[in-house]
Amino acid sequence: MTIKNVFFGLVLSISAATGLASSGLEGQPAPDFALKSSTGENLRLSEYRGDVVMINFWATWCGPCRQEMPLLDELYSRYERVGFNLLGVNIDDDSYRAMQMIEELGVNFPVLFDSSKTVSELYEVEAMPVTVLVDREGTVRYVHHGYKPGYEDKYLDQVRSLLRE
Amino acid sequence: MTRILIGLVAAMMLAFSMATIAQDAAPVDADATRADSNAAAAANARSQDQFRGIDQDVQALKKEVLDLNRDLFLLEEELLFPANSQVAFFVSLDVGEYFELDSVSLKIDGKEVANYLYTAREVDALMRGGVQRVHMANLKTGRHELIAIFTGKGPHVRDYRRGATLYFEKGIGAKYMELEITDRVKKQQPEFVIKEWE
Repeated sequence: MTIKNVFFGLVLSISAATGLASSGLEGQPAPDFALKSSTGENLRLSEYRGDVVMINFWATWCGPCRQEMPLLDELYSRYERVGFNLLGVNIDDDSYRAMQMIEELGVNFPVLFDSSKTVSELYEVEAMPVTVLVDREGTVRYVHHGYKPGYEDKYLDQVRSLLRE
Repeated sequence: MTRILIGLVAAMMLAFSMATIAQDAAPVDADATRADSNAAAAANARSQDQFRGIDQDVQALKKEVLDLNRDLFLLEEELLFPANSQVAFFVSLDVGEYFELDSVSLKIDGKEVANYLYTAREVDALMRGGVQRVHMANLKTGRHELIAIFTGKGPHVRDYRRGATLYFEKGIGAKYMELEITDRVKKQQPEFVIKEWE
């Protein structure tokens, strides 16, 4: 783990803990992006228009992400066939560590690599993890900063209500 | 009744006195106007020669202003009119058996201006004959260097990275460039060509 990563993680943790992170993205069209995925395929957000999409920003050095990811994977497995997609965006400088962690956790949702941090800047990621919910129209509906046990129930309710729309 | 009579007499006297003042004033105004016009005529006569000189100067200045205006107009057309300074870059894929496109990166005069990642759907659309506008720029007239770097999977599904360079002249008017990926059947290799649309 580099000093840069430690510093970045520290800043994000502090901002999440103090509740400084706030998003002006809710209600706005989700900024489009294309990233390389863990399968080698390039994925573009706009190609998921018509589906409910959850974008989860995570990093290998983030403890809560490790807790949250298996729960998100459960959500993905349950609702994938009814138009729900989950894109995990990893922000590590080195995608190798991310690949290791995916294997270790055994998650199945597509993981994208944003090593240049362009997408995390687009989504104003100021904490780790950040979970963004985009509706069928491509509008950002909910943004969650950080993770605490119990958040998964909130995600479940929100995903279900968006799928019903 | 007495009050009304006094008021009436006073009003008549006031009206009479006003008329008298007006009659007295009229000749004075006429005299003044005559004096002014004489003075103006004299001044005109005195400065006529000076005006001729100034008029010539103004004409020369007007000519200079017109010349400057023409130069500015040409400069504005050359530099500021956006539609004329536009250069658009398109990507097309012909057949695509020997190359599976992954990304295109464009550099103009050494500066990276576009980096586009293609999804499977987008590659499919290109293979079906679609043409994608990958970048639009405003460029000054003159010579420019374009470098396009294509990455993807080449023959035998090997990682492939190729560059193509073109020097082009940007004149007045919009310009369109096509980055074409074709298959060279003889060599069983992809070919990357940059073309200028006429």
